[in-house]
Amino acid sequence: MIIFRYITVVFVIAILPLILLEPIAAAKTVTDQLGRRVTVPNEPQRVVSLAPSITEIAFALDQGHRLQGVTTYSDFPPEALKLPKVGSYVHLDLEKIVALKPDLCIAIKDGNPRVIAQRLESLKIPVYVVHPNNLETIMKTVLEIGTLLNAKDQASHLVKNMDLRIQRVKSLVAKATHRPRVFFQIGVSPIVSVGTHTFIHELIVIAGGTNLASGSISYPRFSREKVLAFSPEIIIITSMARKTIFEKVKAEWEKWPNMPAVRNQRIYVEDSNFFDRPTPRLVDGLELLLRLIHPELVEKIQ
Amino acid sequence: MNTKTPHIIKRVVTASSFLILLLGFAIVLGISMGSTDSGIKDIFQNLLGTKEPDSMLYTIIWQIRFPRVLLAALVGAALSLGGLVFQALLRNPLAEPYILGISGGSAIGAIIGILAGLSRFPGVTLTAFTGSIATLLLILAMSSGQTILKKDALLLSGVMVNAFCAAVIMFLVSITQDSRLHNIIFWLMGDLSLGDMKHVGILAATLLPCFFLVFWLSNPMNLLLMGKEMAQTLGVNIKAVTFTLLVATSFMVSATVSYCGLVGFVGLVMPHMLRLVFGPDHRVLVPACIFGGGTYMIFCDLVARTFSKQGEMPVGVITAMIGAPLFIYLLKRSSR
Repeated sequence: MIIFRYITVVFVIAILPLILLEPIAAAKTVTDQLGRRVTVPNEPQRVVSLAPSITEIAFALDQGHRLQGVTTYSDFPPEALKLPKVGSYVHLDLEKIVALKPDLCIAIKDGNPRVIAQRLESLKIPVYVVHPNNLETIMKTVLEIGTLLNAKDQASHLVKNMDLRIQRVKSLVAKATHRPRVFFQIGVSPIVSVGTHTFIHELIVIAGGTNLASGSISYPRFSREKVLAFSPEIIIITSMARKTIFEKVKAEWEKWPNMPAVRNQRIYVEDSNFFDRPTPRLVDGLELLLRLIHPELVEKIQ
Repeated sequence: MNTKTPHIIKRVVTASSFLILLLGFAIVLGISMGSTDSGIKDIFQNLLGTKEPDSMLYTIIWQIRFPRVLLAALVGAALSLGGLVFQALLRNPLAEPYILGISGGSAIGAIIGILAGLSRFPGVTLTAFTGSIATLLLILAMSSGQTILKKDALLLSGVMVNAFCAAVIMFLVSITQDSRLHNIIFWLMGDLSLGDMKHVGILAATLLPCFFLVFWLSNPMNLLLMGKEMAQTLGVNIKAVTFTLLVATSFMVSATVSYCGLVGFVGLVMPHMLRLVFGPDHRVLVPACIFGGGTYMIFCDLVARTFSKQGEMPVGVITAMIGAPLFIYLLKRSSR
């Protein structure tokens, strides 16, 4: 009995590639951000986004209708919440992705396990990998996703708008005489900040601040003592909805009245979604940072 | 000495065929259920070809679930067998690769291999093997002399080796920002989710020779349990047998660790359960552990991937939740 079953199995496995090798209609070959050649459909209709940032970009391009599946924490825009979930972006459920019969998956290099892309490709599902790591590559990513989803016009419009707003911030900051020392706290226990090779660092610098945690380590950990020694003028704590915890962290810093940030009441708790996802919303984050770091510059224009 | 009496052959065949049936049932169940709701009826129609083939369902069954089920079966078999061998060699009913810290040692090796950018096979498997051999030597050194017979000393040294390994793993994880370690939490608790046929093939090619080797040495294992002098008089080359078994077992454990992470207590639960059913003869127990361990692991993995609506959990969570209470029970019973 068991022998027959195995023979069936072997047979099925042998003929499987033939079943899967259906001709793909109207496809083109593109190069993704890892330099891999990927054959994608001209009009992808069943796209699965493997990260919240990609979901946001697709919706920002008015292409939300092409999405068939998103990851667990894809919470923006609210429409994304209604789409089927395929697991969190670090721990994807392969079976759920395949069950959605995607004609294209868009993945990110940092976060999505490399094996997932390999497995999907071995199942003949094209995977386009993006690697946005600063404002410039985010804009490039928006343009590329626009090309993939046949929304080139929307993409170039969106990117033009982003660029315009970034230039406006830059020209305002050019007038600043002082670059305040900013401690940007993304983790509570341990205290974690952001190093030079992160887009938050880039935002702080463009918004006219000095990132106290700059350095080669992307997400360095700090002791409280070390932060006090930095004598930050501004502390920005980003929270993921657990607002109460972060208010506690703020109260914790306020025990040190000698710190300039406490003295001048410049400790802020902000929504982390503006800062930790490589999406067009990062420009909102940039403008928010400008208001926090250089309120005097913003007041002038208003 | 003529041990292959018809009687024992019959017992081996009976036990094995019963467990193979169970394994077949587990495999069918394992490929019928998953995180997507495809009805069992659909699947059987697909398997039997009575319905128009649905390529998506085929892909899910044969390229996602089937390799995973086979991977679970291999891992369960290897770990159960590992437990059985250690229990016999150390003459300690509580010995098990995970409890002794051997899995932890190979996890350190595997993480170092991953960080060094080695391929899963043979690179990471070999670094994992090095790690497990190192911990094995450490345990043997610590328990050398007569203390090897003392349960408590062996278990305590295992606890300490485990604590040390956990610390080294956390150390390695915290000094790196490598995105390859993003999945480490899942991996540390045992993760079968990403197996494909290639992995299964490599793992099977690695494990099957070890299975045969252990089976071949199952009678010497019986004799060893009667005491060293007894075994020696009966013509067992104690050193060679012990050495071969330890190396083969460590190799099996490190191969599974490098593919699936740390899955604990399987080597405790299965040998004990099977000993209750089939008695203490290792010639029966070795094949029983291979088929029974595979079955057990498929069921554990099935629970792990279908239990929660929030997404699957690491399979090690399930095996530990079953195994740890059993361990405490066995410890309590043996200390009476």
